[in-house]
Amino acid sequence: MSELTVQDARSIIEGQIETLKKRNKEPEWMTKLRYKAMDAFFEAPHNDPIIKDPLDYIAKAEEEMYPEVKSLDELPPEMLALLDRLGIAEVEKKYIAGLAVQSDTSIVLNDFLKDWRKKGLIVESMEDAVRNYPILKDLFLKQFNPYESKLAAYHTAVWNGGIFLHVAQGLKVPMPLHLFFLIQNSAMAQAPHIIIHAEPNSEIHLIEGCTSPVLVRHSLHLDMTEAYIGEGADVKLSVLQNWPEYVHTRPMTRARIGKDAEFINTTVSLGPGKSNIANPKYWVDEGGYAELNGIILGQKDFYVDLGGEMNLDAPGARGLNASKSVIMDKSSVITRGIIRANAPKTKGHISCDALILNPEARMETYPGLISQVDDAELSHEAAIGKIREEELFYLMSRGLKEEEATQLIVKGFVNPLLKDIPLEFVVEIRKIIEMAVSGGM
Amino acid sequence: MLQIKNLEVEVENKKIINSLNLSVGKGEFHMIMGPNGSGKSTLALTLMGHPNYKITNGKIEFDGRVINDIPVDERARMGIFLAFQHPEDIEGVKIIDYLRLLLEKVKSIEPAKALQIIPSKAREVWFSADMLSRYINVGFSGGERKRFEILQALLIKPKLLILDEPDSGVDIDSLSLISHKIRELYEQGTSILLITHYGRILEHVDPKIVRVHIMKDGHIVMSGKEELVEKIEKEGFKKVFEECGCNE
Repeated sequence: MSELTVQDARSIIEGQIETLKKRNKEPEWMTKLRYKAMDAFFEAPHNDPIIKDPLDYIAKAEEEMYPEVKSLDELPPEMLALLDRLGIAEVEKKYIAGLAVQSDTSIVLNDFLKDWRKKGLIVESMEDAVRNYPILKDLFLKQFNPYESKLAAYHTAVWNGGIFLHVAQGLKVPMPLHLFFLIQNSAMAQAPHIIIHAEPNSEIHLIEGCTSPVLVRHSLHLDMTEAYIGEGADVKLSVLQNWPEYVHTRPMTRARIGKDAEFINTTVSLGPGKSNIANPKYWVDEGGYAELNGIILGQKDFYVDLGGEMNLDAPGARGLNASKSVIMDKSSVITRGIIRANAPKTKGHISCDALILNPEARMETYPGLISQVDDAELSHEAAIGKIREEELFYLMSRGLKEEEATQLIVKGFVNPLLKDIPLEFVVEIRKIIEMAVSGGM
Repeated sequence: MLQIKNLEVEVENKKIINSLNLSVGKGEFHMIMGPNGSGKSTLALTLMGHPNYKITNGKIEFDGRVINDIPVDERARMGIFLAFQHPEDIEGVKIIDYLRLLLEKVKSIEPAKALQIIPSKAREVWFSADMLSRYINVGFSGGERKRFEILQALLIKPKLLILDEPDSGVDIDSLSLISHKIRELYEQGTSILLITHYGRILEHVDPKIVRVHIMKDGHIVMSGKEELVEKIEKEGFKKVFEECGCNE
């Protein structure tokens, strides 16, 4: 339990809200929302097996924004080193496409092509966006309710950082956009709020990367993503996480997928952090398609609990929840996807594969299929096991060492889910997997 | 090069091979025939070092070194190659990535160079560039599997190539190609130990060079030349064993 009394807590959160309000020159509706969330925080249920008291993770808002940095060269060297950790510095050289880096609570780099802005692509820090775009009043926190959980309430009260991504009707952005979060300050909750607003028939691929210096202790990453995928729009959201062992992450993602729209959400957790608990929710309209792909590399004593609820709400809606976990050391991974068929002619599939590399590692999977109608097609499959001895023998009989053969098998195991990740990242992801496998052997 | 002396092998506490002696010299072509269950595949897997096959007696020497306790990957790097009867499927691992790694780690060939060598060798065994992006053996036909084994042998150029029924489950055209490629490796100096039921695989091999051994109940009961193959194909193992008094 935290040493703080409720009164202390209230005044700390209030102080943070006031600081954020002043710093961001927020419109009144936002400040009201924060206060409402603060009230909710004290009433909302809290149910987290690892984070007993969210007050242990208190965000302090910086008074000053970082000065704007125009290119990667102007970043401080320690931050460049962090980008390297995710393979970003290399990738950025290849992509002229947008890159925004968010360090703690401020955007330090924003290098999107100005042309795209004229065509209707808006990428702005959430702080600026709430001032500049009245539409956010209709989008912000419309898929969450602060009373549903303490962490949702806390996020809403003290959210800082994040991004507003708006893609105008019919606009197709051909290259992926990159957004990176770095945690540098310790003892703080990073709570970025991300809104993806894809208007009808637009197309975009957003790549989010998360990392932090290795020695930040007990940090909490509490991000919230709300996606609005308009009719016929096609959105890919790829999240790469490489948290060090002290970061707890609680990503909250929700998406409304419109008629005939497509949303492909892939999360690659190379370093999931000390604990990572997520339960994304999707609502899929007529003919729409949602895909939730997760790659999890469980290491050390990490605890990962990956949920995922898909609601197939109208005829022809489809959903796929696929995860591949590689579980090493003493880590635990739980997956629990749920697909609800709420309308006829819907189709959903859950697949969960896990490769367990250590007898002390643990895997549990709980697929949930709920059909409210007669003619829905719901299915699931799960395969949990060790690397097959014959497979290893085959590769080693050609001269590969056990470590090399294991790395190859593990990389092959996750490979099918990396289909939407740009090759440069795949190369980095494979390197990280190789290192993790070697370290775990 | 390969000396097997008084070998005894157990699988799951059951003796499969006993008092087996065989010697394969450099550049020699040996063929092992025998009915099902006579221990041919066990011999192949034991030579490669499969952990489930326990040597309880005797020894295997390769290039003057006893390899009884040497692990599989090291045997491979010493120059032993086993083309499997049932090659494994490896989900998610693309052939091109695998072969590139293999050439880099086992043959010290730079990845850029490997990317030139692999497609041209692959074409020789009818593997197109598209096929190289497929996963190892996943969804392969019988002929594709066996040709892929040969492709790996062609890239590695082992000192000793053991082939465990390269002709089983293979279409007629693949069989002819595999026979060709075995000869090619033989002519490049690779010693061959070929396990088979049929003489057909010798289509493109000069039968005069082949030394034939017949296995029964875990050891070699008869050795000879090409006539032995013809005799078995004509009369069957049963009759041959009766004539030689091999049934005890």
